Amino acid sequence: MAKVGVYVCHCGSNIAGVIDVSAVRDFAESLPDVVIARKDLFMCSDSGQEMVKQDVRDGLVDRVVVAACTPRTHEPIFRAAIEKAGLNKYLFEMANIRDQASWVHGNDHEGATEKAKLAVASAVGKARYLHPLHDKFVDVTNAALVIGAGIGGISAALELANMGHKTYLVEKEPSIGGIMAQLDKTFPTNDCSACILTPMMVQAFNHPNIETLAYSEVADVDGYIGNFNVKVRQKQTYVDWKKCTGCGDCADKCPSKTPDLFNGGLSDRRAAYIMFPQAVPKKAVVDIEHCINCAGRTIGTQPKINEKTGKAILAPCERACRAGAIDRSLPLDPGGTIKEIKVGSIVVATGYQVMDKGWFKEMAPASPNVITALQLERLISATGPTGGKLLRPSDNEKPHTMTFVSCVGSRDVNFHTHCSRFCCMYMIKQARLLKEKYPDLVINMHFIDVRSAGKGYDEYYTGAREMGINFFKGKVGGLEMLPGDQLRVLAYDMEAGQSIEYNSDLVILATAVELPPDATSLAQKLGLQFCGNDFFRELHPKLGPVETAVAGLFIAGCCQGPKDIPDTVSQAKGAAAAAAVPLAQGRVKIEATISEIDSQKCSGCGICEPLCPYHAISMRDYTDRARGVIERHAVIEMSSCKGCGVCTSACPSAAIKLHGYEDEQIYAQIAALTA
Amino acid sequence: MIIDQKKIDETIKIIKANGGHGIQKCVQCGACSAICPGVKAGFPLLCRALIKDLLNGQLEENIENSSSWGCQACNRCTEVCPQGVRPQEVVFAFRRYQANELAFSTSSVTSQMNLYETGHAVFTDPKEARRKVGLPEETPTSAFNEAAQQEIRTLMDNSPMGELGLF
Amino acid sequence: MEQIGLYLGCNIPLKNPDIEQSFRKIFPALGVQPVDLEGAGCCPAWGTAPSFDLNTWCAISSRNITIAEGKNVDIMTGCNSCFGVLSEAKHFLETPATRTAVNNSLAKINREYKGTSDIYHVGHVLHKKIGLTKIRENLKYKLDGLKIAVQTGCHTLWPSDVYKVKEDNPYYPTMLKELCEVTGATVCHYSRLEGCCGMGGMRSTDAEKSLKLFKEKLLSIKEETDADMIVTTCSSCFMQFDMSQPILKGRGEIDFEPIPTFYYTQLLALAMGFEPQQVASISQIDRNPIIAEIQSDNRRIKEGM
Repeated sequence: MAKVGVYVCHCGSNIAGVIDVSAVRDFAESLPDVVIARKDLFMCSDSGQEMVKQDVRDGLVDRVVVAACTPRTHEPIFRAAIEKAGLNKYLFEMANIRDQASWVHGNDHEGATEKAKLAVASAVGKARYLHPLHDKFVDVTNAALVIGAGIGGISAALELANMGHKTYLVEKEPSIGGIMAQLDKTFPTNDCSACILTPMMVQAFNHPNIETLAYSEVADVDGYIGNFNVKVRQKQTYVDWKKCTGCGDCADKCPSKTPDLFNGGLSDRRAAYIMFPQAVPKKAVVDIEHCINCAGRTIGTQPKINEKTGKAILAPCERACRAGAIDRSLPLDPGGTIKEIKVGSIVVATGYQVMDKGWFKEMAPASPNVITALQLERLISATGPTGGKLLRPSDNEKPHTMTFVSCVGSRDVNFHTHCSRFCCMYMIKQARLLKEKYPDLVINMHFIDVRSAGKGYDEYYTGAREMGINFFKGKVGGLEMLPGDQLRVLAYDMEAGQSIEYNSDLVILATAVELPPDATSLAQKLGLQFCGNDFFRELHPKLGPVETAVAGLFIAGCCQGPKDIPDTVSQAKGAAAAAAVPLAQGRVKIEATISEIDSQKCSGCGICEPLCPYHAISMRDYTDRARGVIERHAVIEMSSCKGCGVCTSACPSAAIKLHGYEDEQIYAQIAALTA
Repeated sequence: MIIDQKKIDETIKIIKANGGHGIQKCVQCGACSAICPGVKAGFPLLCRALIKDLLNGQLEENIENSSSWGCQACNRCTEVCPQGVRPQEVVFAFRRYQANELAFSTSSVTSQMNLYETGHAVFTDPKEARRKVGLPEETPTSAFNEAAQQEIRTLMDNSPMGELGLF
Repeated sequence: MEQIGLYLGCNIPLKNPDIEQSFRKIFPALGVQPVDLEGAGCCPAWGTAPSFDLNTWCAISSRNITIAEGKNVDIMTGCNSCFGVLSEAKHFLETPATRTAVNNSLAKINREYKGTSDIYHVGHVLHKKIGLTKIRENLKYKLDGLKIAVQTGCHTLWPSDVYKVKEDNPYYPTMLKELCEVTGATVCHYSRLEGCCGMGGMRSTDAEKSLKLFKEKLLSIKEETDADMIVTTCSSCFMQFDMSQPILKGRGEIDFEPIPTFYYTQLLALAMGFEPQQVASISQIDRNPIIAEIQSDNRRIKEGM
């Protein structure tokens, strides 16, 4: 007969403020097989745990039920405690009387107490039928994958590589660097973005432990912590990167133009192009969508022959390439090539995009002089389309008055309710840089409020006021298009309580930070979830900020939520440290609460196989030599099984047991709840 | 100004009961006031300023303020509001509070009487103008339709408006 | 021929019946038959029931809508305020509690709101149902070379979530612009395109404030477009432009002649060859010269062309 000990937690006032803990304890004592029922102010405290451990050590109890908070955070703590006291850690059950009773029924003390009693009865019912279970271990592939090579991905990759782990760094663009590579200077120190980023790009690219896969995307992922199998699609560059020297001659000769997205569409680039001057790797690609196949040189066709000279007629890019890296005769597959890699852990650092101005109908999106703040970065960058001169797009004239509009699409129920968090600071940075360079420029900044939380940030903001930049509290309501490509700003001065109207030459919209659309398909491949603000969801908003619901999969940077460069780097280094843990341990634990098939009972019907969401089940043939027949059975790959129980409930022969959730345990819970 | 929670609660209750359901969503960003024709024309107590006063419990204090009657109901504010407040509905809720306390200009009474008597808020004898443009002298509307007028009167008599003694 | 309920409102049938007559002339010629909604009254105007009680507003609005429902037709309004008031009422009536309360009131006059008739504006019917091509085919005069400033007015634009037909961008409306351009005229952009004319509650509450707003808009039109005429699809805006320009002129606040103003269907009726006396004869500003210009012989579109 089981000897169940029940321990009811006050959780300070979290539980005891609503629930009559003594009544729950008294009730627990009356339940069958319960030999001890105790309560404590904080069961998870040292003294609380010690109480349980002592009872185990004294041989008083051999099954433990803790009625407290959520098993998500606290089950591991109590399991570890009883294990230390010498009891199998799976002889433990938790009743969540905080989340499921005191928190949700805060206004109904009696009802919450009754519900807590039921939860305890259910847990005790199950505990009576628990068996000892044993974790299993599998070896780990000592390599990591970092997806996305902006400042977050580069930081994480360098960290992992420096710890000695082979690291794959996958980037969808032809160059690593991400959005930080587009920025001019960085707040609050005004250091040049390229100057601090480029060395890191080079360091990552040349690191002996880092294999950079640029112009590549994750095509498929399966496996589990310690042993992920990843297919990476290396997109077709149409340029042989082994030969390409990054000279840029092909781009000089290419006649086909398309908007240069690196410059926010403010200038054109060629179809054959190098992403930006400091690109790493500095390699050219042919953007086949915008390639016009000069001289009829469609990829994979033989050139025409000049009848007079007898020479092949080549496309300008081919002719220009002295390294012979461009050969349009080669039958290249536009789908690219798949590279299969094996890694033990994955860090996702895919970053963000800013919303397009076209969403904001009141903000005169048709005007060329209304641009996003990221476009302004390119306008003021020395490598940008104007060589760093502030010229408004409509006529390349220097603006006299310019306007910054905050919270465009952020803190807005029509678009995104979240604060994009770093817009206030980058707008102030842009304004300061411009005011320094052009003291006569009138700069009007409109904020709902200035959010400058961060070391040195508020000083940076108040300093901007002293520089003669005008700040207005109040959201801009709209823009009107004036003759001469000016904009009339319709604003409001909250402090003065008056509406404001003035003409502006250039208007900067701080549009919201959001996930790019391809994040959705990546999330599906990886099993990532989204949070309420449509960023990737971390395991726990406070205590698991880099972990995800998938073991071995970590997130960092703006894909987890808007954050500035220092926060991104911090989180990336944290994610790298967490991702290194399984690699350093060399083996990972497989929880014992997974499904197992009784091959004697399995009829080989195969119903379970397609139902398994983790592809853990396969059908195998066995030769029964004694009977001389071939039998078919389902087999579960234990390292893939997540213990969801779908197969268990679907099996018509009841051949599949889910350890820790066995029939008699669940029946006992039901019986206790319905008694 | 003294912050009196009782007054605040009561004010919000009254505004919501009169249709200003979104008032507590307001974060005072001021976008509504930036594009409000009324604010621009010089009616100070509209949109965000009115909402702020109401959120401070300043209801009776503003009862005689005529700003709300300068609202064009154009709903630019509703369109631009980032929080779904629907400020125009708050302004009209305040107006309804004023109207039911009979705090509105006497010129407005004519419209209510016209509506009650002819079914048209604006009524002028149209016969000559209609003859001139080649239309029948009488409109097909309630203006020349006793049964229709009676229906409108029934609706108004049986409404809170009927208790104000305006018609 | 497709039928549509012609909801007249107050100002159009009582003060500007030439606008009403322009509806009655052009729509049948363009293949849509307006049907009278006998006994329909005020929408009710913003300053009446909407300012007193939400359910009374919805009851009076829905009474008008039930007349169209009884004839199994949608509603077409010429007045922007009517369009706004009826559309918003319909929006409120989506709330079950409001609908129940309103139907309890309507039961006293033996009516029931069902929500089967949609609310359209005259401009919507012309742009979306009839279409620019059909309008172009029915023109008798081409307006090439004439400059128009358009005034869409507030209540067909915002709040866009309650309207059956929406502009692509309510801050830069294009339907009226395209309707004018189809006549051959040039429509000039001006910065205060979406600005309020100042008519409505503001004008009756404080005429001076209303005129201040109006003057700003008028100057934007004059200075940025020097238009030959102003064309609107809002009868209230029409009245403001027609009535207040002479006031500003009389006070010496503007130094140019008032710009002739038309309700859009008046302009279209003239371009379709209808009698000015019937479709565009009531205004304070003298429109005879521009009407003569519109219907001049050298603008006549020759048969078969």
